[in-house]
Amino acid sequence: MKCHVPGPNVKVLARTVHTLARFGDELYLESLPDCILLRTLNAAESAYAMIKFNKNFFSYFNYNYYSTEDNEGLKCKISMKSALNAFKSPAHIDKQVESLEMKLDPESCKLIFCLKCKHGIVKTHFVSILDCKAMQAVYTKDTVPNRITSPQRILNETLNSFQTSDDQVTLEATTKSLVIKNYIDSNMDLTKIIRTHVSLDPAEFDNYIIGEETTITFTLKEFRALLAFAEALNLPLQLHFETTGRPAVFIVHNGTTFEAHFVLATSKPDNATQATSTQSTTTKERNKRKDTCNTQGSVKKKRHIDVEFSKCLEEDSHLFNFVDIPDDINLKASNNLDNVKEQIDFDNVIPASPTSRTKIKSVFKRCFESTFDPKSIQGVILAENSDSE
Amino acid sequence: MKFRAVMNNSSPIREFSTIVSTISKLSKECVLRIADDMLYFIVSDENTGPAPPVLWCEIPQSVFFSEYQLVGMDETHQDIYLGLNSGNLARSFVSLKNVKSLKMKLTKKQCPCLTLEIEVPSTTSHQTRQIVHDIPVAVVPWKNWPDFYEPRVPDPDISIELPSLKQLRTTIDRMRTMASEVMVRASAGGQLILQIRADMAKVSTRFKDLNVAHFDGPVDNSDPETDSQGNEDSSEIVQCRVDAKKLALFLNVDHISTNTTLCSIVHKRLVTLCLQTDDNVKLQCFISGIVY
Repeated sequence: MKCHVPGPNVKVLARTVHTLARFGDELYLESLPDCILLRTLNAAESAYAMIKFNKNFFSYFNYNYYSTEDNEGLKCKISMKSALNAFKSPAHIDKQVESLEMKLDPESCKLIFCLKCKHGIVKTHFVSILDCKAMQAVYTKDTVPNRITSPQRILNETLNSFQTSDDQVTLEATTKSLVIKNYIDSNMDLTKIIRTHVSLDPAEFDNYIIGEETTITFTLKEFRALLAFAEALNLPLQLHFETTGRPAVFIVHNGTTFEAHFVLATSKPDNATQATSTQSTTTKERNKRKDTCNTQGSVKKKRHIDVEFSKCLEEDSHLFNFVDIPDDINLKASNNLDNVKEQIDFDNVIPASPTSRTKIKSVFKRCFESTFDPKSIQGVILAENSDSE
Repeated sequence: MKFRAVMNNSSPIREFSTIVSTISKLSKECVLRIADDMLYFIVSDENTGPAPPVLWCEIPQSVFFSEYQLVGMDETHQDIYLGLNSGNLARSFVSLKNVKSLKMKLTKKQCPCLTLEIEVPSTTSHQTRQIVHDIPVAVVPWKNWPDFYEPRVPDPDISIELPSLKQLRTTIDRMRTMASEVMVRASAGGQLILQIRADMAKVSTRFKDLNVAHFDGPVDNSDPETDSQGNEDSSEIVQCRVDAKKLALFLNVDHISTNTTLCSIVHKRLVTLCLQTDDNVKLQCFISGIVY
């Protein structure tokens, strides 16, 4: 793959990378015959972002530059840090950079960003490729009952009312109004937190369709990041969501050259038994329904009603076995310890993805060692059961 | 107990918001005393004991509020004292640029809250949107009210009008890097002298021709701490040594559009800085003197 990005679009690309950096630590790049996809997933697997740059975003686009016969598209994973290094200060990048050349050779282990700057300066970044797999989330955006199109300004102004310490917001969508609140966890100290509640009139939005009144809660950090993206490009934001527990999809696009999808997991609001960890675990568990399904880039268009995140490996996809966790499990999760235990149980039944396994192993490393004798810890309570079930 | 107040104009809301944000810079916690005709913000220093509070701010309600209802606990305890985090209050005000109306009321939503209901005109259409902030507060029981009564301050020996606060602040900020204590002197002749002593140098900054609002007789300066000030009569100089940091902190208030700022000094004991705005808001800061 080889492509040229003209000056003004370098800025858009830089903004994109900076936005994605606020989501995840790894950047997945996939080159298809007519577009380039950038994707990332956050560490908790509760937020996913995909930005698609169409062919006409580039001044030159040759998918087959290195004459590959492989029509599946080139894929690579790079670290977000190295991508950020190539795109420093997105606000001013268009003043220095005249164009950018991106090259991805299937035979090579580097992704090349070549920035042609003013005064004939050429900066070339050789970014190490960490992996050749692509990651793909499966979500529904076209058949959802609730859709709101909002000028970015309204939501940005709304978020200004919230405190920087707030980490989640709850959206109450009814046909009469849209209420945004900061999410108060049951174990937060009410005497220390400002509860904020903003109610917006549907007439403020460009488009407001609520087919199914619902309440969703999602993280504010990623929401702020994607709103900053919409603000920087001054584009309206489309919000597609279903009900509680289903991911909310935020779309920013300019119609022709690029389209950005941000998918945030949602959790149940104000559940009395909810602990701080619930948000991340519910989403984690849902996302854990991994699927070996196809590596094609068209999954998104298949209109999956069921929400599944799938991670795809190019060749050794057989490593991933299908793991189906019932949806209601996330409600049972009431504290961290329980969650981890549950995950271990699943590990015994079905091999989970390598990443989560190593994580658990490092937490309860001792338990996995062959020399471990469970009797040795019997009768000794190291930590009290925090839940009196 | 009931409290409900409405502000309808954007300019008083803005002014109120600057006052609140200034207070939040001076202290984390404050007490809001709601009385029939005034709102008071009181910041007291836990360590000083019987000393006056650090900050005393009076806001006449009639200037700011178009509606104002207050029902106290009973006949004898008509005021309401609320302990709150000043940062919380300030941050709730920050987001407001053009506001149509602001309603402030005392509510009980799981815990006592000062609820701000703010109506903001939409930037994109004719609609308004409503923002509600519930700021948790602690109602101060009446037994503890005397802690927050108006401070009884000894009559100052001199009251002198301060020069521009911005200028004063830069001076203090420079001095603060060199020494932790500043000697504030004011003379009946209209001079204000800020002086520090470091190991290597003695620095003093003089502001001349200031308006002396009040001078109370010759002061006894017959101790070695006083430096001779040339031709000026030492009995006309009132001085007090204060903590430079505290002084600098108060000078942060320069965002409030002021009418006058008076500096009153009780010889060697107390410096009171009093700021008065056009709307009769009075903000007083008490900095007790350091005596060796």
